[in-house]
Amino acid sequence: MIDARGLTHRYPDGTEAISGVDLSIDAGERVAVVGANGSGKSTLGLALGGLIDPTAGTVEYFGETTDAEAVRERLGVLLQDPEDYLFNPTVREDVEYGPAQLGLDREATDRRVERIAAALGLEDLLDRPPFRLSGGEKQRAAVASVLSFAPDALLLDEPLGAVDARYRERILDLLADHDGATVVFTPSTDLAPVVADRVVVVARDGSIAADGPAREVLTDRALLDAHGLVPPVAVRLFEEIDDDPPLTVEAARRRLADDSR
Amino acid sequence: MTGVLARSAESVVGALRRFFVADRVAARDGLLQRRDPRASLLTVAGLALAAMLTRTLGVLALLAGATLALAWLSAVPSRRLLARSAPVPLASALVVLPQAALRPGTSLVAAGGFAITDAGVAYVALFTLRVWVGVALLSILVMTTRFGALVAAMRALRVPVVLVWVVAVTYRYLFLFFDELRRLVLARNSRTTDSGGVGDGWRDARHLAGTFLLRTLDRGERVGRGMRARGGARPPSPFERSRRLDAGDGALLAVAAVAVVGAGVMRWLP
Repeated sequence: MIDARGLTHRYPDGTEAISGVDLSIDAGERVAVVGANGSGKSTLGLALGGLIDPTAGTVEYFGETTDAEAVRERLGVLLQDPEDYLFNPTVREDVEYGPAQLGLDREATDRRVERIAAALGLEDLLDRPPFRLSGGEKQRAAVASVLSFAPDALLLDEPLGAVDARYRERILDLLADHDGATVVFTPSTDLAPVVADRVVVVARDGSIAADGPAREVLTDRALLDAHGLVPPVAVRLFEEIDDDPPLTVEAARRRLADDSR
Repeated sequence: MTGVLARSAESVVGALRRFFVADRVAARDGLLQRRDPRASLLTVAGLALAAMLTRTLGVLALLAGATLALAWLSAVPSRRLLARSAPVPLASALVVLPQAALRPGTSLVAAGGFAITDAGVAYVALFTLRVWVGVALLSILVMTTRFGALVAAMRALRVPVVLVWVVAVTYRYLFLFFDELRRLVLARNSRTTDSGGVGDGWRDARHLAGTFLLRTLDRGERVGRGMRARGGARPPSPFERSRRLDAGDGALLAVAAVAVVGAGVMRWLP
């Protein structure tokens, strides 16, 4: 679906944010890209989404083309800061911007927008200007804006940043319902196992340090330590008493409940 | 620093938002709100063209009256219209004010070697009123018609894509530009005290200018990516769909056409 080879990006000041990245995302895969602050996760997301030109390397989309613009309607990229994503006079226009620009059917878009807006509690905000929203509301509007054109591949940079617990669950439900590939870029090893079953660790030099099943990567304390990360809270709680620690708080809660019976 | 500059940034951002965000007036029931955006756009453009063409103060006063009537029929609050449309013509009046004394004509008042002439006063009045009519018509249009509908109307009227693109991008970036300034000033104010005078404020402002430029460029790039991520590299094509023009739209267009033809005839025919 997305196949990056030797992807490198150097900023004008000489900083090499990503370095020789080989990464393939297959259809239906759920991948979390984790890394410390400044490791190049966001730059990798932008390069994979065809929003910055790599200094070296290529990205092939859907086995068809290396031109992201040619497949833009199949590629949903959410930027880290929702402020950069919401630039229309009203939330509704922002949510409809993608489908309209990409020439999608209006009625199908209306139905999808209605469903997503209801799920994310945006119904009463649709006719308000984005700049009047709170941080969490902006984040929800930005997520709705990328889901509104139902892309085959989702590349989401910290999609839950300012969202409160209730809407965090709803966004996770929407992502779980997404049939295509989902790649979430996050510094949180706690979020990674919730949204993905494959985890990619980005090293501080912008290269790929590890790529494997979530359990294998997120329980490797030495690997995570070496790259400025810590295992998820659930792993840290159980790692000394259990060879097979749960990865998420929810899994830990279930295990404790089972053990107490 | 927390004084003049901060207040100026806040007020400019606020004024821009009030000017361009048509979320309240556009939702009201009024003449232009009921019309097809193409008809609204062409009517406003026609009346503005007529105002540019005419050299007769009486005709321009008539067009100014038509502008006020259009605002009233479109439920645009007159105070808001005047507040939005007055600053630009007042500034223009200051620029052309010397013409009141420079234009040859019958002297009305003479003092200190200068004479205010009737032709000079007429020129200043004509120029200022013409600017006001143009700005007021633009204000009425953006207040009564949502931006997406305006862009869609421009596309439907086959306005060159490049022009529509420039309008759409300028509109979006205008907010971001001033929003970035506001954020920068707020960040600065959160770590400074109000003890300095105006001189200190302007010195800080000079220091901020470079940072502001860099941040604006960076923000512009990021927003550009946000647009491209959702098809922004393609020509603007909002969902707004113009309906069939009806008799009401036709009547409005006829008024604009009469204004343009009338102003043209009066200007060029002997």
